[in-house]
Amino acid sequence: MPAAEVAARVRESLANLKTKDLKDGQVMEVLSLAQQLTDTMQLFFGSLDKSIHSEFVYIADYIARTRTEISKLRPNDIKEQRIPTAGAELEAVVTDTERATETIMAEAEGLLDTKPDDLAAYKAQVDDAMMRIIEACSFQDLSGQRVSKVVESLRHVEKRVSRFAATMGVHDAEADEDEIAEAERKKKLHLNGPALGGPEVKQEAIDEMIASDLDQDAIDSLFD
Amino acid sequence: MAVEMSMPILVVDDYKTMIRIIRNLLTQIGFENVDEASDGTEAFEKMKKQKYGLVISDWNMEPMTGYELLQRVRADDTTKTVPFIMVTAESKTENVIAAKKAGVNNYIVKPFNAGTLKAKMAAVLGDF
Repeated sequence: MPAAEVAARVRESLANLKTKDLKDGQVMEVLSLAQQLTDTMQLFFGSLDKSIHSEFVYIADYIARTRTEISKLRPNDIKEQRIPTAGAELEAVVTDTERATETIMAEAEGLLDTKPDDLAAYKAQVDDAMMRIIEACSFQDLSGQRVSKVVESLRHVEKRVSRFAATMGVHDAEADEDEIAEAERKKKLHLNGPALGGPEVKQEAIDEMIASDLDQDAIDSLFD
Repeated sequence: MAVEMSMPILVVDDYKTMIRIIRNLLTQIGFENVDEASDGTEAFEKMKKQKYGLVISDWNMEPMTGYELLQRVRADDTTKTVPFIMVTAESKTENVIAAKKAGVNNYIVKPFNAGTLKAKMAAVLGDF
């Protein structure tokens, strides 16, 4: 029941009591004090009602805005279309490259095993093998297009998520325990993966490191 | 001492294609006795059963990495002297240092060619 309604009922009850023929002056004084208290409390609870109402309006607005932003994020499109399609494209890239590698390796191994006793026949066999190797290399065009589609999907998702995070003022939560444990394991086992743009340390530099005594000073100098 | 060309070599990699490439390169160099394993666990089990003249291992494999395999090989009395070459795409300075500290005999960064593999094998085993 709203505070204003409660106060009205209390005031009504007090008024009823006052209309009765109460002889005791102290009771009348108590009733008067109760009347003052009710008026004061009405002001207090009235302001409280307005404050709570404002809070609820803010929360309702926030929920509505969140729903709008989530809808703009188009999570169902990401979940049902973008990510599965990107996954399928990457799987196709793996399949295409495996198939091409198998063809190229098989042709190369076939030539390595061939004894060139008849040069004309050997030349024809080499020509055929080379043509099949060249044909197999066409996977690169398809793979390039597939990877481009995946990159486009990732950019699309990144754009929407970034917009959502910025609009909603979202800050990253701490990584969960599994993620932290996996990151620590990778760090401990030096699992960095291939560097972009070729090896981070060239073979010649690695050779020098392997050949060196690798005392602490030498190690320190590698990080200068 | 001359290198025994018939010595067994263990190639460890989780990509069959890479094992096939290394096997072909070894064959071309003259080593025909090539065995294979798809991760460190399988490799170590094989090493406990058979003595290999050389191990050529990738780094990034699951569940046991090449780095863990190297550590385990060097910690075990029956395998600690087996020559070990790391062939990997891990090319950070910290990787090379960690491998060297763990007792690797040589380190080849991918992609590599037959000449590099032969040169590093010769550096470890002696000329052949």
